[in-house]
Parts: sequence; structure tokens; C-alpha cells
Amino acid sequence: MNFELSQDHKVLQSAVRDFVEKEIKPIAMKIDEEHMIPDALVAKMGEMGFLGSYLPEEYGGAGLDMLSYAIVVEEVSKACGSSGVLISAHTSLCSGPIYTFGTEEQKKKWLPPLNSGEKIGCFLLTEPDAGSDAGGTATTYRRDGDHFVINGSKTFITNGGYLGTGVLLASFDRSLKHKGITAFIVDLSSPGVTILKNENKMGIRGSYTTAFAFDDLRVPVENQLGQEGKGFNIAMDTLNGGRIGIASQALGIAEGAFERALAYSKERKQFGQAISEFQAVQFKLADMWTSIETSKLLTYRAACLKDAKKSYTMESAMCKMHASETATYVTKEAIQIHGGYGYIVDYEVERMYRDAKITEIYEGTNEVQRVVISKMLLS
Amino acid sequence: MKLLVCIKQVPDLESRFKPNAEGVWYNETDLAWRMNEYDEFAVEQAIRLREQLGEGSELTVLSIGPERVVEAIKKALAMGCDNAVHIQDPAAATKDPWQIASIISTYAKDKNFDLIFTGMQSQDRGSAQVGVTIAEQLGIPCTTTIVGFEYDNGAITAKRELEGGIKGIVKLKTPALVTCQLGLNVPRYPTLPNIMKAKKKEISAITAADLLREEPLATTASFHPPAKKGGGIVLEGDVGTLVDQLIGILKEKTAVLR
Repeated sequence: MNFELSQDHKVLQSAVRDFVEKEIKPIAMKIDEEHMIPDALVAKMGEMGFLGSYLPEEYGGAGLDMLSYAIVVEEVSKACGSSGVLISAHTSLCSGPIYTFGTEEQKKKWLPPLNSGEKIGCFLLTEPDAGSDAGGTATTYRRDGDHFVINGSKTFITNGGYLGTGVLLASFDRSLKHKGITAFIVDLSSPGVTILKNENKMGIRGSYTTAFAFDDLRVPVENQLGQEGKGFNIAMDTLNGGRIGIASQALGIAEGAFERALAYSKERKQFGQAISEFQAVQFKLADMWTSIETSKLLTYRAACLKDAKKSYTMESAMCKMHASETATYVTKEAIQIHGGYGYIVDYEVERMYRDAKITEIYEGTNEVQRVVISKMLLS
Repeated sequence: MKLLVCIKQVPDLESRFKPNAEGVWYNETDLAWRMNEYDEFAVEQAIRLREQLGEGSELTVLSIGPERVVEAIKKALAMGCDNAVHIQDPAAATKDPWQIASIISTYAKDKNFDLIFTGMQSQDRGSAQVGVTIAEQLGIPCTTTIVGFEYDNGAITAKRELEGGIKGIVKLKTPALVTCQLGLNVPRYPTLPNIMKAKKKEISAITAADLLREEPLATTASFHPPAKKGGGIVLEGDVGTLVDQLIGILKEKTAVLR
């Protein structure tokens, strides 16, 4: 076994780190305060290839692998969890399923603008009454000549506010539950799409979380993704891959908070010595780092399994669950090590704490991850 | 036109440095490594010239050191160099600037490079000798610490930064060597697609022993951190006491009040 990153991955990690240090870290607080990732940063991330890391070069991607993608999301999230989830949702939840389930024409049409960042991608699964239970999808579609006509609503759509490209799940017969669901590629700038609101959230405030209404949205028949009635399978496969992205985001948030806590513990003096001299703080640091390292091993392993085209369902559930719980734990302890200053916005760990919480919830709550893992153990 | 850029991989400056067991260099375990910053300016300028020249020109990046320096080479390839030479030498850190320069000049002498770029110095050893020594050994003109660079038809116009903020303009004809200083340019980030493309670029490997003809002219006798300074003295008490204490110390320990 070799736990070292390859030289190519190290080159990538260092390139992403340099970019993040200069282009994202200085504005991370502003992104949180203004609830907005500047368009200029999104464009720069597109130029860097962050938005098409593992998609093949023939479709405008960088042609790298899943591990490279995990490293990109991790490094970006060290500075800014909002920018991390932009990349993750865009790549795993939109470009990913189009690449995996799309026809050659669909890939050629939709992937290049996604990979360059010209269009930002999102995944329209969750509805007001269907979250973890995707079978309850109430958005419907019907055929009308060369089009499908979609009606319904979607909520909590990460990246929705960009009105770019979406992979949307809708049912042709709700009584069939998950067997009635089909996936579509939709252009969200089309007539019939209304943004009801962009949510005001506890964390990842720079990331759009959008509620949509669809009122006779007309989608050309050639935009059907995969077979009719197979949308649920597409959704489940997509979320599997997406979990690696969220694990990477959570890992990055934890590492970002840890770096600050470690540095602060060496600077801050109380009772005549740095607080890092106190065993109470030393033990916290040891526990935090151990959780981070275990999260990293699980996340990188899940990415490598996907690269090797092996089954990774259980591993992606485990890395998402463990890394997200590490993120909430480490950011909480990072605040504690900072004492009162940790509660102040300027020290940034409070933002990381707020950003961390969502990673236990989205792309399958951690309760759902435990169901996935235990089912596989007991089957 | 053939261009060469020479780069060194150095420890990240945020690393914790400890002398090695021999006490002549630092202990390399647990260090993070990156491309010497001044060499990044050299790589960027070389790539800009390569882009200006277009078809028919070729930019080679060269680095001496153990296997890990391939990371720095790959970064330079991802930034835009065409191909690379890795001069393999696990003991590069113990060679003096004369030997390092001689390895490079021996490699370069029959390759007809029109222009060689280097950083003005390395961030770890900081001798600032390798670039100028290569030029001397190859018998080509050189200018150092450039902060501006233009090339037109065999003629280089370089801007140098001198003490006190004074700028100097130097003109020289190719073949030549320039050493690059902070302020010359802003190095580009290697993009992900270019990191992918760099994987297909050729890195030829040569053993340092095949190129080394020279004995060292200088050796490092000792390598150690500075002695720890005392923690200072904090005086306490009311103003009168403080003044008395201070006068006592100044009389006893300094020449100020004698």
C-alpha cells in the first residue's frame, strides 16, 4: 500500500493551493457577508479548469481523475466552503450524470459550456415534500409533440440561482413512485422557470440555494437523460459520486479551521505561556487531526475506487458521513481553542462552523448514509 | 530559437528547518517543497518569450536534484515549457554553486541555447552565483536581477533594479543569460488542463556524474540556527524604582553612563 499522492497529484495540489491562497482566501469573508461568490472568481475557477476536473478533454474537461477532483474541492473549501460546494454540485451533480448517462450528442452539446464555467450546473431532485425520499417526487411531465412539458416545484437547489444547466427529475405517473421518474437536461434560462427565492442560510452563504417553480416548462425530447422511468437510478448513482465531493468539501473546511486553531494556539499566551503548552489544548489538537486524517483517507480511497471503476457506494457513504461529522466537530473545537475571539467574525472559524453543518445534511443526511452502510453490511 | 530555463526546488519557507546530522545542511525529512520563487519569474518570462516567438522555438526546463524535483519540473511544464531535463543527483544539496553551474554548462555547451533564464538566487542557499557562473563557463554575456525584459531580433533589453530604487537598462545580444528578480512578472497558475497536457511532455533524465567535471571551490563548514537571544528584562515597580533600576543596569552593563 502506498499512501503518498503521486507527483502529478502533488503538482495539482500545489497549483490549486497557490490559486486559493491568492484568489479565494482574501475574499472568503466577503463572500459570506455578501451572500455571493463574485462572477470574476467563478470565471477564474472556470479558466483554471476547476469546473471540469475529471471530465474528458474531448468535452472540454481537464481529463484528470476523481482524486484530482477531490483535491480541488478540498483545497478550495479550506478557504471557502461556498466556493467548494459550487464546484462539487456543479461537477458531481450536473456534469457527472450528463457524462455518465448522456448520449454522445448530449455530451457534446452540454458538457463544454459546463466544463469551462460558461454555464453553472445544478441538480433538481429535492422538492418541498421529497428530500431523502426521492420516490415522492411530485413534479410531473407529459409528452407534447417534440417536447416534454414539466410542472411542479423544486427546493434547496444548490447553484440554482445561476440559471445555468440543470439535471431535473420529474414523474410521469406519481402512483409508480420511483419507477415513474425520468431525468432531463434543462436550460434554466427557459420560459416557464421561476425562481421563488434564494434561501437565507446559516452557512455556505455565498452558495445559491434556490427554490423553483416550473410552469409548463417545455423541454425538447432530445433532452431526456437516460431511459424513461430510470431517473431514480440516475439520481442514486449521481448522489453516490456527489458524496465524494461533499466529503472533500467537509474535509477542506475541517482542515481550514484546524490550520487556524493550530496557529492561534501557538500565538495566544495565557498564564505566561502559549495555550498550546496546555495539555487540554494539545489533546484537542491531537483528536482534531486524527479525525481529519481518517476523513482524508476515507475520502481519497472512495475517489480512487471510483477511478478504478470499482464499487464505492459504501465508501462514499462512509467518507461523506465521517468527513462531515469531522467538519462540525473540528470547527467547533477550533472556536473553543480561539476562546472569545473564535466567536468573532474576523477570526473566520465561526464561519467555518456555520459552513460545516450543512455537510451533515445535504446529498443524503448522515442518517441516510448510516442506512446505506448498514444495509450493505447486513445484506 | 532555443531557450533554457534553470529551476531549483527549495523547501517551503514555512517549513521548520533543522540542521542535519552532519551539521552542513538541513534535515530534509518532513519538509514541504516548491519551486524557488525567483525561478518562477524566470519560467514565466521564458514562456512569454516562447509565446512571442511562436512556432520553431523551443523551451526546455532543467533542474538538478533527487526524484522529488520532478514535481517542480512538472509545474514548469504545466505552466508552458515544451520539454524537460532532470539531472538526477541525490547529493545536489552538498554541491557548491561552482559545481552546480558546471553541471549545467557542461549539459548546455553543445546545445546552442540562444537564451538562458535563471532565478537571481535560490531561497534556501541564496548564493546568487549559479546563473552568472553558467554564463562565465559558457563564455556568454549575462545580466542579473532583471525586473523588465524585452526581446527583438537577437537583442535583449533588460531593466535592472539597483540599490536605492535606481533602475538601469542593459542591452545585450544573444546568446546570453539573464537572472530574474521579484517584480519582473506575475507567474501564471498552472491550469488543470495544462497539468494534464504536461503529463505527455518529455522529461529526459541524465545522471549528474556524467556531467560533473569540477571539484568544489567552497564547502559548507557548519550549518546551524542563530544562538537563542535572552528573553529581555521586564522592570516592575513605581516610576522612581523603575528609573533607579534602569540607571543601575545601564551603568553595569553598558558604556552609556560611565
